[in-house]
Amino acid sequence: MSTPALSVTDLVKTFDLGFLGSLPGFGGLAARLQIKGIAQRVQAVRGVSFEVQRGEIFGFLGPNGAGKTTTIKMLMGLLRPTSGSGTLLGHPLGHREARQRLGFLPEHPYFYDYLKPMEFLDFYGQLFAMTAKERRQRAAALIERLGLSHAVGRPLRKFSKGMVQRIGIAQALINDPELVVLDEPMSGLDPIGRKDIRDLIFELKQQGKTIFFSTHILQDVEMICDRVAIIINGQMRALGPLTELLQSPTQQVDVVVGRLPEEAARRLEGLAQGTVRLGDAIQFRLGDGADVDTFVGDALGAGGRLVSVVPHRRSLEDLFVAEAKRGAAP
Amino acid sequence: MRQIWAIGLNTFREAIRNRVFASLIMFAMALMLMTLAISSASLHEEERLLKDVGLFLTSTFSVLIAVFVGVNLVYKEIDRKTIFTLIPKPIFRFQFLIGKALGLSLTMLVQVLVMAVVLRLQFLVVDARFGLEMVQALFLVYIEVLVIVGVALLFSSFSTPFLSGMLTLGVFAVGRFVDRLVDLRLKTGGGDRTPELDQVSALMRGVAHILPDLSLYNTTTYVVYDKVIEWSYVAQATGYGLTYMAVCLAVASFFFSRRDFV
Ligand SMILES: Nc1ncnc2c1ncn2[C@@H]1O[C@H](COP(=O)(O)OP(=O)(O)OP(=O)(O)O)[C@@H](O)[C@H]1O
Ligand SMILES: [Mg+2]
Repeated sequence: MSTPALSVTDLVKTFDLGFLGSLPGFGGLAARLQIKGIAQRVQAVRGVSFEVQRGEIFGFLGPNGAGKTTTIKMLMGLLRPTSGSGTLLGHPLGHREARQRLGFLPEHPYFYDYLKPMEFLDFYGQLFAMTAKERRQRAAALIERLGLSHAVGRPLRKFSKGMVQRIGIAQALINDPELVVLDEPMSGLDPIGRKDIRDLIFELKQQGKTIFFSTHILQDVEMICDRVAIIINGQMRALGPLTELLQSPTQQVDVVVGRLPEEAARRLEGLAQGTVRLGDAIQFRLGDGADVDTFVGDALGAGGRLVSVVPHRRSLEDLFVAEAKRGAAP
Repeated sequence: MRQIWAIGLNTFREAIRNRVFASLIMFAMALMLMTLAISSASLHEEERLLKDVGLFLTSTFSVLIAVFVGVNLVYKEIDRKTIFTLIPKPIFRFQFLIGKALGLSLTMLVQVLVMAVVLRLQFLVVDARFGLEMVQALFLVYIEVLVIVGVALLFSSFSTPFLSGMLTLGVFAVGRFVDRLVDLRLKTGGGDRTPELDQVSALMRGVAHILPDLSLYNTTTYVVYDKVIEWSYVAQATGYGLTYMAVCLAVASFFFSRRDFV
């Protein structure tokens, strides 16, 4: 539909540190008075804007300390933006109507020690004003879906890290939300657990829901996201479909040839922009406008065996590192 | 309303299942048994002493537990980040705060009831009268506890648990003598009033008007002399206490609603 599931415009968050800064309302005063040791400010988010369309899986990517959690907390109404604005499901931030249809998993979640899974989910269901029957059915289904059936008798205090993460995801879905915001949903999970969560996110998309999740693990994003935003140092660095972001600025081609005699290999190396030795094969990277046909013919003529010819695709890692470097030297 | 109830019930459940709470009650009960030993050592006066000390311990202990739990109540939710999943739910922040207050009030009700039962048993042992005035007195102890719950939540809405605890205890200590502060007229050693002393007196009187008048809830004289408390007095003290608590919660909600959760 027309309105985006989530949008932010020029979002800024500055933290006031130090003694007075921790008291509400005093931070700004301390900064204005420039009291040393009292007025310390951290610019966690510096003007972030993006939109998440309905029905997409949107990855919010950035290294540690980039400002992902701070941005998400502003979206969830946990922090007041220093400036800027946003919308959730067509309503301004903090609107109750939108929160009724929202699911949220915080970073490193922690829940009530003495509650058992059903009690816990039931409590959260009540906050959404769900009926007792709805709550029971939904909680049971989620416990089953997240593989926690074996732990229904245990209080949350006795849950392992991965189990806490799973019950956290269950609580985020208790109200069958339209928009799901997950802050590092895969953290603390083993490879099987991560795959489970990826599958679950995909399932949610197929049900027509919008998923917004943060991570610094590239693999998670590469496999399931429709679009990503990259945030570094509190600023947006890239935004778009992965295929676009990963397109190489130049048309390079990677040719991999096996069993190439050494002397031919050295000759061909001169024609390539770069080479990588892969066991008994060699990967040649040919630059823009190189004559790939002639190069391949040459290699085969010299006794080599063709393994593959593929247009070079940047990896997300390349992009990430390149953007991070750009951030370090402005 | 349903959401407030859910939060209250959850708070109550957490508190009741917490071992710290259980051990506090045990400790209070042990202390009360000691009163029994002391009072039985004092001949003739034992019944009065038991009533006086028993009521004093019940109220002081309940208030101390209310302060201890109250100042940590909201802080714990923030510190443990459980609040991160509550705030984005479709509830107002004031509903969260009132729910917490409700949960603590329920918890304290259990606490006062347990102490009351212990007291009743003690009275049985020494064959003392446990009349209507005792029930009234214990009820007023509970209302006093509710006032303190409100004060503790108010302070903790903008400061640390330690500072809130100190401030709340201060309010409690001074609050018990507010009735004397209200018409305070300080005099010099020679019995004269000076402008400075008048100013100090005025300031103290001002403070006394803001602090809760907890002397209302000290009904020891009635209990010791087996005199039933007038119902109008009970009603008035209850109305005053609940109003004071409500005002505290309203101010606390104001601070709480503009707070960042980092
Ligand atoms: N309460 C706070 N007070 C002061 N500075 C803060 C606070 N919270 C976050 N910051 C700072 O803001 C910046 C962004 O932090 P944030 O937690 O948003 O990063 P992140 O992208 O979520 O990182 P990670 O991947 O490690 O979770 C960091 O430099 C951090 O030190
Ligand atoms: Mg984070």
